[in-house]
Amino acid sequence: MSKILRLLGLFLLLPGLVALCASMQVGPASWYEGTNVFWGTPICLFVSWISLAHAGTLLSAVFLALGVRLDRRTALLAELSTLCSLCLAVMLPLVQLGVAEKVPSALTFMESSDGITHLGSPLFWDFCCIVVYGVLSFLFFHNHISSRNNPAQVIIRKPFAWLLLPLVLWVQSVVSLDFASTFFPEWQGAFFPIYFVVAAVYCGLALVNSLLCAEGYRVRLLEKMTAAGSWFVCVFWIWEFLTKGIFFSGVFVFAGVLPQLLWVSAVRNSRIGRFLVSLSILLGFFLERLYLISPEKGCLPFFGVVDVGLVSFTIGFFLLFYFGMRRSIGCFLDEEGTFFGDVDGSEMEADISATEKFDKENETVYVHPFTSEEFRTIRLPLLLGILAMLLFVLWEMNLSQSKPTLIEILPLTFPIVALVAGIALWIRSGVFREIPRRVLFVIMAFCILMSAISAIFFTVFSKDESEKVNGAGVSAVSMESRSIEIHEMLPERNNLVDVESEQSVGEEK
Amino acid sequence: MTPLQNALGCLLALGAAYYLWRPSASLFKNAALLAGALALFVGYSYGIGDEEFYPFRMFALCLCFSTTSLRKDRRRFLCLAQIFWFWIEFFGSLSLYYRGFDFAWTRLIAIAGLAFCSAFLSRISKGMEFCLMVFWIAVWIFF
Repeated sequence: MSKILRLLGLFLLLPGLVALCASMQVGPASWYEGTNVFWGTPICLFVSWISLAHAGTLLSAVFLALGVRLDRRTALLAELSTLCSLCLAVMLPLVQLGVAEKVPSALTFMESSDGITHLGSPLFWDFCCIVVYGVLSFLFFHNHISSRNNPAQVIIRKPFAWLLLPLVLWVQSVVSLDFASTFFPEWQGAFFPIYFVVAAVYCGLALVNSLLCAEGYRVRLLEKMTAAGSWFVCVFWIWEFLTKGIFFSGVFVFAGVLPQLLWVSAVRNSRIGRFLVSLSILLGFFLERLYLISPEKGCLPFFGVVDVGLVSFTIGFFLLFYFGMRRSIGCFLDEEGTFFGDVDGSEMEADISATEKFDKENETVYVHPFTSEEFRTIRLPLLLGILAMLLFVLWEMNLSQSKPTLIEILPLTFPIVALVAGIALWIRSGVFREIPRRVLFVIMAFCILMSAISAIFFTVFSKDESEKVNGAGVSAVSMESRSIEIHEMLPERNNLVDVESEQSVGEEK
Repeated sequence: MTPLQNALGCLLALGAAYYLWRPSASLFKNAALLAGALALFVGYSYGIGDEEFYPFRMFALCLCFSTTSLRKDRRRFLCLAQIFWFWIEFFGSLSLYYRGFDFAWTRLIAIAGLAFCSAFLSRISKGMEFCLMVFWIAVWIFF
């Protein structure tokens, strides 16, 4: 099944690459876009895949933090889907730029006149939050994989999960601010962050359910959460209709009504039925993103060949990347003794009963505040993260040329804390003891070199407009003064020439 | 919002919180109660004229009230519920800031302070539960 899906991914990717090339060649005119905002299919796909990227972190980290049991293989697959979705989502805003020449300036943030992008822009917050989320998701996944060979690394999994839990909410909320901070009444509102998070969680559940169907297994807890999540989403849409008069029947049917079929046992117990329900949720939310970008146009009549190609590209890329990586980590998933979902009931029952007995024994043990093992593991990295965040805030507010307000910096604070704390936690897990010294030296040298290059780059190119003007003014004045000096020198020069000519005339005579 | 409207909203949230997280309730029952509570808050907010932000704030307050009846890991879920309230207030205020509304700094600081101090709580007695509820109601009505 995995091989078939990889081939399907390749089959979808190839025409998608053609569409991508056409898009970069022709520009935004080739795809469907909103008439007022010039955001189109790439941004719609970006928001969709960012939502799907919440699957792994939700199911693995959040469940771990809240003590909900989830088997190891499902958690690993969910984390892998997060990384693949993030890799895909990061490419899509670059496609939205429209032309290939704009990509380098976007990558280096050289957009504004002073060379550094505006810190108060939600797009900048977006980028930073997603990068931090990607880095920490990768480290969490790496820790999960390496703890198989080194059980001592299990100690940082729960603290890591506690870092990722708020980060999930933060990232999706910041993505929602891209819309909520604009001037369209359909997008504006305090409801947008919570709606985006609920929608992301719901989409993520649908994605993981569909991937489990592809594996041939099921996790009943996830099916129950999908059914329950559909009710919240329906309440949201009813609320949106009552308050803003917005209602899109396609979304309501695909993502709100059809998931109720999970209550029918024939659908619920059928692998194809569960897969189709998950697919309908994903389709419904994709249509919802399209409608979000351009409510006045509707969707499908304006969906062209390049749009279909871009969708095909993203699906094909994900399938190929995900099942390719799935194949490479197969040894971690297929070993003996790890059950998968609800299939291997006997081993799971024995495991649960052993765990429950352990939980009952520990129920009488009271844990004082800030004395748990998790907190003792994370307190120093968290302190480092908070210090780094405070340094950043102080530097930006006092020493930076742009002098942003506190509200403009706030969305970046927790991602900085999480990034520094997460990296410190990962280093603390002793992972560097496994890496050869030569490789470690190369990695450190590379990091130092990149930091130095970035610092030089931004120092050289981040000039204030006033300095540029002053610089030009100063050079003009200096040119003027220089010209005056030359001009003053000229009479002396003329005198010297006259004297020489007189001397030469005298000599001739 | 007037203090009276806030007080009535607080009563509604308290009433809805009473039915949540009962020991015998299944995941579906709790989810249905939460969805129903959210719908009720939407209806109330529609009636008082602030349907954009108010229902979700009421929802967060309801979750905070509901944690007082938990039997296991009460401190953990208490802090989580208050952080959830802070999150709704913070990002909601940030969204409204771009439309010209003021940032509700005092309310945010009050909720953040309560969440932080709750993390230091030892065994939560009935008296402490009552104090927490009073603080939440005060923040809700007066801030």
